[in-house]
Amino acid sequence: MKKIRKFASAHKLNATKVLLICVFAALVLIPLVRMLTNINGESLKSVLSQESFLSLISNSLVATALSTLTVLILAYVLAICVERTNIKGKEILNILLVLPMLIPSISHGMGLVVMFGNNGLITRILGFGGNIYGLQGIILGSVMYAFPVAYLMIADVLKYQDCSPYQAADILGIPKWRQFTSITLPYLRKPLISVTLAVFTMIITDYGVPLMVGGMYKTLPVVLYQEIIGQLNFEKGSVYGLILLIPAVIGFIFDVLNKDKGNSTFVSGKMLIKKNKLRDGAAYIFCGCICFFLMLPIIVFGILAFSKRYPSDISFTIKNISDALRLNAGTYMLNSVKIAILVAVIGVVLAFVTAYLTSRAKTKMSKALHLFAITSAAVPGVVLGLSYILTFKGSFIYGTLAILIMANIIHFISSPYLMMYNSLSKLNENLENVGKTIGVSRFRIIIDVIIPQCKLTLMEMFSYFFVNSMMTISAVSFLSTTKTKPVALMINQFEAQMQLEEAAVVSLAILLVNLLIKGIVALIKKISTKKKVSVFTEEAM
Amino acid sequence: METKQPKLIVKDLKKIYEDKCALNSVSFDVKEGEFLSILGPSGCGKTTILRILIGLLDATSGTIIKDGVDITNAPASSRGMGIVFQNYALFENMTVLGNVEYALKIRKETKAVARERALSMIERMGLSEHINKKPGELSGGQQQRVAIARTMILNPEIILFDEPMSALDVATRISLRKEIKDIQKEFGTTMIYITHDQEEAFAMSDRLMVMKEANIEQIDTPENIIDHPANEYVQSFVIDNLQAKINSLVKYLR
Repeated sequence: MKKIRKFASAHKLNATKVLLICVFAALVLIPLVRMLTNINGESLKSVLSQESFLSLISNSLVATALSTLTVLILAYVLAICVERTNIKGKEILNILLVLPMLIPSISHGMGLVVMFGNNGLITRILGFGGNIYGLQGIILGSVMYAFPVAYLMIADVLKYQDCSPYQAADILGIPKWRQFTSITLPYLRKPLISVTLAVFTMIITDYGVPLMVGGMYKTLPVVLYQEIIGQLNFEKGSVYGLILLIPAVIGFIFDVLNKDKGNSTFVSGKMLIKKNKLRDGAAYIFCGCICFFLMLPIIVFGILAFSKRYPSDISFTIKNISDALRLNAGTYMLNSVKIAILVAVIGVVLAFVTAYLTSRAKTKMSKALHLFAITSAAVPGVVLGLSYILTFKGSFIYGTLAILIMANIIHFISSPYLMMYNSLSKLNENLENVGKTIGVSRFRIIIDVIIPQCKLTLMEMFSYFFVNSMMTISAVSFLSTTKTKPVALMINQFEAQMQLEEAAVVSLAILLVNLLIKGIVALIKKISTKKKVSVFTEEAM
Repeated sequence: METKQPKLIVKDLKKIYEDKCALNSVSFDVKEGEFLSILGPSGCGKTTILRILIGLLDATSGTIIKDGVDITNAPASSRGMGIVFQNYALFENMTVLGNVEYALKIRKETKAVARERALSMIERMGLSEHINKKPGELSGGQQQRVAIARTMILNPEIILFDEPMSALDVATRISLRKEIKDIQKEFGTTMIYITHDQEEAFAMSDRLMVMKEANIEQIDTPENIIDHPANEYVQSFVIDNLQAKINSLVKYLR
């Protein structure tokens, strides 16, 4: 009897896993295959034989490589400034640095145009500039857009670095530069590879920045975007989609292999930071400059949103807000919020169930499901969007909010999934076994014990899904209709019609909504960790 | 006592994983109210036995008989056994009280009864002043007491311990040792206790089971094992190790 029951329960777990694998396959792999089958010899030939084809590839690679390198160097230096000096105001800095992550990439591009374009604010003040368009513009915008992500990742690694190897090296009299090459670099190698791949993929697949400031310097995602939006040429678009898929997939595979052999070191001592006023002073200056640079677009939007007529008359008005509302910004904002909430709720549930099955109900299917759950990270948003058009056009779901929600969930699920996977893996492995021996079902243990312990991660996941859904312009740009359009896509439209003030209003509105969600999550987090902190100090005493 | 049938009879228990044998046809029995230690190096099959006994793992073959009833295929929760895990596996989101009364609540015990029983168990374990604390606020020894209380609340006839002290410091170990023995006497509970610490096994057990590589090497009282070790292995793993420990201390105890 028991054997049968046991068999049935293992069977149920496996069946759920197979079902989820089918869901991921249906929403990732099948659309991709559909896109690839859309490529025919003719479209392939017409793309590859273009004179501009090689320069397109080299443009994308050069712009991405230079941006990635700049981001890495700046982010590393800033992380050192924050984690290895005694400067004050680190919390404020960390809050400020998150702000640029809360607006769409296209806003960063537009910010550059407003500041450094032919009629730009800064161009006019300084009396020169105007040549923002091109490679330099893409690099600047991409750095603004990708910098916070790189910084947060590197700072996190530095924060948890163990100081004992350095103490040992000091005692042995090993010079500082040797310590850097033989302790710091090996320690940072894997995390840095991860950061590099994340930033590289983020930049090479983004069309927002290059569309705004690329000018004649065309990159792959921009051409793909124009091919679909402007020409409705799906065959050629699919070829570009395939080409764009290549670096993303390579990056993804590298990242999986890189993380596989994790170097988990246990923290045994916090870094001791010596007093050094000169160093701290330099750190203040560097942090200040970076912050100012990253804040520029937001500051400029603040000015622009409340200016009468940029650039001729920048006296205060709130007319732009009512103008934006008159142009349906309110309706589209409502679309965005609806989408973001539904993506967050459904996404969190899907990611939680999947992560639970792969981390705490291990069977042979678990590895396969894990792989499926993270695969979507390898598909650039524009490529996902294109493959969804080709797959779902004509079906009942096409042209509804549902397809936008679906695309966003799939596009963003891998990070929140991994957050939950890590949290669940850290919980005691015997919780369900305790339940089994005292007669409590797995389901009850999940509800009563597992979920309460993962509350903070669940909230992080919610906020990740929400914020990214508010900002995204990639997959949704191909899938939305005039009715279902999310508000982030208005930025592009306003900019094209030279309604920069309204575009600034929309960017700020997105920022505000995201800030609100982030703020709520941070507040709840603070309240619940405060309790824990007091516990620790009590114990320490 | 001698005429009574054993509390637990284990016959030809075998566990084979895909590529390796974790348990090679072991047989033994445990008397009512007895304290049996299973001693052996890591990977010898100790934990496998425990997990099969309580029903978290299926044996490849063999039978388990408790009080004359075959329980080989009974669900874990209806075997009348409890288990205390190595890393406590407490419910971190619940208070001490919450942890202890949880099983009763789920079993549809009335709130008042559950509360009363939990409170008296917590008092018995000397945790009354910590009743509203979460496990994270307690020391390792206190956490292990909560885990024992959570198991004891269901009045199991047999308690299994899976290296319960391996994460604790020596002083805590010694005091908790005594407490576990006291519980055994007070409640007459049969206990099966896994350890890789020879000293602990000798200090606590009525009988000892020495294991090596999926097999039982010897099962007997501590005295008999010292006097008549079954083979080379028992001699070296148990007796020589204990002797070495004593020798290292004896020079200070003049």
